[in-house]
Amino acid sequence: MKILIAGGSKSGKSDYAQTLALTLAGPGRRFYVATMIPFDAEDQARIASHRARRAGLGFETVEEPRHLLRCLENGPGAYLIDSVTALLTNALFPQEKDYRFSPKEGERCLSELLAFARQTEDGVFVMDLIFSDSCRYPAETEHFRRLLGAAGRRLAALCDTVLEASAGRIFIHKGALPK
Amino acid sequence: MVLIFGGAYQGKKDFVLAQFGLKKDDICVCSPENAPDFTKKCLANAENFVWYCLNRGVDEMNYFRCNSALFEDKIFIFRDIFCGVVPLSKEERAWREATGRVMQYLAGKADRVSRIFCGLEQRLK
Repeated sequence: MKILIAGGSKSGKSDYAQTLALTLAGPGRRFYVATMIPFDAEDQARIASHRARRAGLGFETVEEPRHLLRCLENGPGAYLIDSVTALLTNALFPQEKDYRFSPKEGERCLSELLAFARQTEDGVFVMDLIFSDSCRYPAETEHFRRLLGAAGRRLAALCDTVLEASAGRIFIHKGALPK
Repeated sequence: MVLIFGGAYQGKKDFVLAQFGLKKDDICVCSPENAPDFTKKCLANAENFVWYCLNRGVDEMNYFRCNSALFEDKIFIFRDIFCGVVPLSKEERAWREATGRVMQYLAGKADRVSRIFCGLEQRLK
């Protein structure tokens, strides 16, 4: 079963996604796909807090901020991708290119994400919502929003269940929760 | 009348095309500079039409109230521009507020109101 969960900052989407991944895994393996490439101490702290919240839950951490399909070499299990936003950010503004805007790499990343979603049996995809304001962003930021929007729509079409998180509660847009 | 809204890049126009059996040519994408083509079935980016009204000193609520007959069979698509930080510029603040008022008015009149989220419909009315 595949699940997309989207929400704003601190909406509880990551915590809920962990619970979903545990349910999907049952007694089987569960993989936490770590997607963030830390930029500074603030990012390090965020990573530490995410680690602490999943400690003792039996997740195997897979560091794969670039090539999602490589994760599948770990074999069957429930994959938690937290987050789609970070994956696309890493691709579109690559650290090794001094964060220079790389639209082709962004497209490649989206294709790989969708290929991964098609190939994996059990997966939970976490995504941010950055689409509901009146700002006029620079072209590169707008490109990022468009790419993340496309990722959301296409994952939603592929996934069995689509959820929106806010204030730690969830709304079901499609399908049902795993039993 | 139908009111469709949702964040940017959520698939609002594609939803309308599929749901109401329209062709791309049936949709007028509103711009802030020009008056929309009211012969079209669907007015997309209607938030831009509100900007167009404000720019010309037209009272947007009065306009929609006086012309409600014109809109009875229309499908309106609005972008959700309401969840960000209050805009710094006075014009954008006025635009955001006016758009919100128009949407509430149209939602009251509409037979169907839906929010589009990742291409999926959340029916609100």
